[in-house]
Amino acid sequence: MIVLDPNGEKLNLMPLNVGPSHPATHGCLRFLAAMDGETIVASVEEIGYLHRGFEKMVERGTWQQVLPYTDRLNYCSAIMNNIAYVRAVETMFGVEIPERCKVLRVIVNELSRINDHFVCIAAAFQDLGGTTPFMYAFNPREEIMCIWEKLTGARLTNSYARIGGLYRDSYDGFEQDVLAALDSTEKALKDLHACLDRNRIFLDRTVGIGKISAERAISYGWTGPCLRASGVASDLRKDEPYYDYETYDWEVVVGTQGDCNDRLQVRMAEIEESVKIVRQALKRLAPGPVDIVDPRIRVPAHKLAYQDMEGLIGRFKSVYEGIRVPEGEFYCGSECANGELGFTIVSDGSGHPYRIKVRPPCLTQFAAFHELVEGGMLADSMAVLSGLNIIAGELDR
Amino acid sequence: MNTVEDIFSVLEEKFGAKRDTQDKWGVAAIVSAAYLHNAALFLKESAAIKFEMLVDIAGIDYLTYPNHEGPRFAVSYAFKSMSVPGARIRLKVLVGEADLKVPTISDLFANANWYEREVFDQFGIVFTGHPDLRRLLNHVEFVGHPLRKDYPAQKRQWLSTNDYLLPALEKRLEDLGYRVVQRSKEVGTNDNEYLEGSIKE
Repeated sequence: MIVLDPNGEKLNLMPLNVGPSHPATHGCLRFLAAMDGETIVASVEEIGYLHRGFEKMVERGTWQQVLPYTDRLNYCSAIMNNIAYVRAVETMFGVEIPERCKVLRVIVNELSRINDHFVCIAAAFQDLGGTTPFMYAFNPREEIMCIWEKLTGARLTNSYARIGGLYRDSYDGFEQDVLAALDSTEKALKDLHACLDRNRIFLDRTVGIGKISAERAISYGWTGPCLRASGVASDLRKDEPYYDYETYDWEVVVGTQGDCNDRLQVRMAEIEESVKIVRQALKRLAPGPVDIVDPRIRVPAHKLAYQDMEGLIGRFKSVYEGIRVPEGEFYCGSECANGELGFTIVSDGSGHPYRIKVRPPCLTQFAAFHELVEGGMLADSMAVLSGLNIIAGELDR
Repeated sequence: MNTVEDIFSVLEEKFGAKRDTQDKWGVAAIVSAAYLHNAALFLKESAAIKFEMLVDIAGIDYLTYPNHEGPRFAVSYAFKSMSVPGARIRLKVLVGEADLKVPTISDLFANANWYEREVFDQFGIVFTGHPDLRRLLNHVEFVGHPLRKDYPAQKRQWLSTNDYLLPALEKRLEDLGYRVVQRSKEVGTNDNEYLEGSIKE
């Protein structure tokens, strides 16, 4: 297409379609860019290629049946989505979960965050042509995946949290496994920093690329590491503490430039903070129950169902009719790996959710994508995209 | 020290907001569509606690809600304060079936653009003044609004072509100050030609 630029100069632009199935558009993302040579002049994004109708599906089941769907939102840190959802529902019930459950949730939350950040960092470097960091990052990730497997039976789309408790208590040797995973996480971080901090190619590709100011990021509703990379110290774990996050000793990591390099460095530093939190949480992990005892919220254990009439009734009612969440409307956001994962919940007091709206952290970040890439090179758009860590599962729902 | 409750009483005074009794866990205000833009502007810029971030926009269809009285739809806006950590407020606009119109706030919050497109896509609520009200998640050929309670979940539709983004790209270029002299040859004389060529049956 032939256009006149703001100075009145004639330009011949080429529309270039990228995605939806492109090796670097993880998931299914598409954007159409108007190219002047190698430079992106304008870009528009399209999403929805992975739209499954999450919000329609959940209206058909019970409150507990929503859980496996939440795993498929951000599949790099599935358990974290579970916890964000059950936290919203538990807040509506107004129940307090047992101490051991809280600490276990903090541990799996932070391990998920480590996992998610490792995927983002690994994929970002892979997209820039560096395969070594990928291997460094995936070694500790594999150890965490093995913990998931022992804990929940599944590796990728696993659900561990339940409304009012956990699927089950941790297994024997859980602490040792976690400590070993933390050690290799720290080693991998050291390797990654050695590999990247002063790597000329990497710095040239990421420093000053895809910059966004703090004001613009806030206007776009950015949350999580991407917002913090622009210098805003906003973290729900500190701002609206839950699960006693405020009592752990850790720092909110912020960047200064808001560019691609900062977004990746913030993630690496956040892994360090998560390691600190998990180490402290392991020390607090004392024996005790993980479920609340209330058949109206948490289904009674199998053992009770076989021995006790009340337990049997509780199990039957809970499975067939579903739990009854108090009537009302509520928005609850939790700090997930990519930012604030929020649930707007409308309950009519029956056993089925009336409406659940997910607020995915990726959506707001991808909505600003054109502002990040315009004026840059086409190759930079890939660095920007992977630095944002767009997960199509939660983007499109 | 100002609290979110104080902000609510100002909303009540200035914009005739009513307390949303359904939200028992936070602060939610029902405002009329006519006041929405001003109320959002007030929250963003001149309230004692500034709510700089629009967190979410959710559409709600009350068609099958037990004992529901009043308009069928609602649009719920969740705001968060950056200056006072932890302060949150929700605004709710009730939308009747006869007049599915809500003014846009996409000029105040950049992310409202996509959120409003999503609510339009899923519920068919029209945001007046929106610069680019297209479907967001569903397919361009999709007929109906799937999150309405009367849309059957089992219904299937034949969708064959991808979104046609060239007109949107031209619009974006114009927003950036460029002027399109000659359209790309991929754009036919008719913007709809591309869609009409796809298999429909």
